[in-house]
Amino acid sequence: MTRSLNELRPVYVVGIGWHRYQNPSETPYVELGLTAIRAALADARIEWPAVESTYVATALLGMASGRPMLRHLGATGAPLMHVENASASGSTAFRHACIEVASGISDVALAIGVDKRNPVRRPDTGIGNLAEDAIVPFTHFALLTNEYAVRHNASTEDIARVAVKNHRNGAKNPNAQRQQERTLDEVLGGKKVSGSLTSLQCTPIGEGAAAVIVASEDGIRRLGIDAGRAIRTTASVGRSERVYPPGAGFDAALTKETADLALAQAKLTPKDLDIIELHDAFTVEELHYIESIGLCPEGHGVRMLKDGALDIGGQCAINPSGGLIAMGHPIGPTGIGQIGEIVMQLRGEAGPRQHGGARIGLAHMVGVGAVCYVHILQR
Amino acid sequence: MQPNKLLKPGLYSAASHDQAGAIVRLKGGRCRCGYVFFPMQTYGCERCGSHGDALTPCELSAKGTLLAEATVHLHADKNRPAPFTIVKVALDDGPVIRTLLAEDSAPVAPGQRVSGRLAAIGQNESGETVLDLRFSIAS
Ligand SMILES: [Zn+2]
Repeated sequence: MTRSLNELRPVYVVGIGWHRYQNPSETPYVELGLTAIRAALADARIEWPAVESTYVATALLGMASGRPMLRHLGATGAPLMHVENASASGSTAFRHACIEVASGISDVALAIGVDKRNPVRRPDTGIGNLAEDAIVPFTHFALLTNEYAVRHNASTEDIARVAVKNHRNGAKNPNAQRQQERTLDEVLGGKKVSGSLTSLQCTPIGEGAAAVIVASEDGIRRLGIDAGRAIRTTASVGRSERVYPPGAGFDAALTKETADLALAQAKLTPKDLDIIELHDAFTVEELHYIESIGLCPEGHGVRMLKDGALDIGGQCAINPSGGLIAMGHPIGPTGIGQIGEIVMQLRGEAGPRQHGGARIGLAHMVGVGAVCYVHILQR
Repeated sequence: MQPNKLLKPGLYSAASHDQAGAIVRLKGGRCRCGYVFFPMQTYGCERCGSHGDALTPCELSAKGTLLAEATVHLHADKNRPAPFTIVKVALDDGPVIRTLLAEDSAPVAPGQRVSGRLAAIGQNESGETVLDLRFSIAS
């Protein structure tokens, strides 16, 4: 008989840490990763030997890059696994760390995401294509933007407001790659990229690291961890793309399927969510995904955005971290950084970007449209 | 006079080989379950997983309805200098494809009828005119 995460023993996030997401630099990835891990250990107030298992999320670094990093924490011999799942690498690593603790195999596990910008190598499937060499991610999303705008009678300005909000949130986040507020004119007037997308509506790929430590109740007791700051993971769902009707937006359809399962697992409805961190690599995605998650009917996202319902302090704060657009998207760390942001918010420790009274948060990531992960965290 | 050469003969065929602008047929496939896909492959059906004899080649008409367009202003690949326009087209025969808009096409918008033709895109080392698929507003 199969079980979902919340039917196993409870698993809690007890430590979070980052190395700031930033523009590409000379800093070695080992330094980025160790900074995040040591911050997470300090946050949990535990020592490295307490970590029984590590999941390292990277997409761009190369083979088994975790080992040369972790050895500098003192080589304990604990198991180590490398995870690559495109943009969702970090979310996938977090899910497996949770599963390991929930199953009882470990009491304490670490998920660490670290990456530096490197050329992406795509696998050769042997199947030809008409023009895939001309379609990079921002063009895929420029096409979706055009479709959304026409179908829902939304203007370029309407969609660009997502970037204004997320830059405003990112300006208050010391871990964000972009920490500057932007006006709608600045967003629209920036460099044109593809379709109506401008550079400030697209995620900046940089570098950085994020770490979270998860623990069981046994681990929390044994290590004397402050249970009052522990945040429970109440749902974890991973899905992959199916064949949808011709012309259906597969990114949105896959998100709907995954989010529905996660909400059912946590016995919640979209109205219960105080915070959502979602994959806003491009502005139109945020509208697609809040609609897919069920925050509002299809095509109504723009109205919520304009009404301030998606702001910090609004009905549901979307991407209070700044999201991929402002916080950045170093790939490996991104999904783990989302978990960290939600934990900080649910603890009430998010400072100037705190969403008041936050009790329930949802983290969502897609990876090249083909995989989707949703986690729900509750205080 | 050298003959024309198709850039991607595995993906489409020309009704007539002697002139640029020739009518094109797309090389798709059909599964026993009814699923129609592009391009043809023999690995297996995405919908039901059948392979082998279940998959047979079928020609698809290059006519369809435009779902979306995006003019690319920035593209790192030097072999594909910007600007150029990508179109997403729901073919009348089922599959949705993403491909290039003809450079001489009038501007397009979602909902419009479009069709693909073979267009000359340059010459190869043997002096043959190279033809590739391009979409434009259906005539
Ligand atoms: Zn089939």
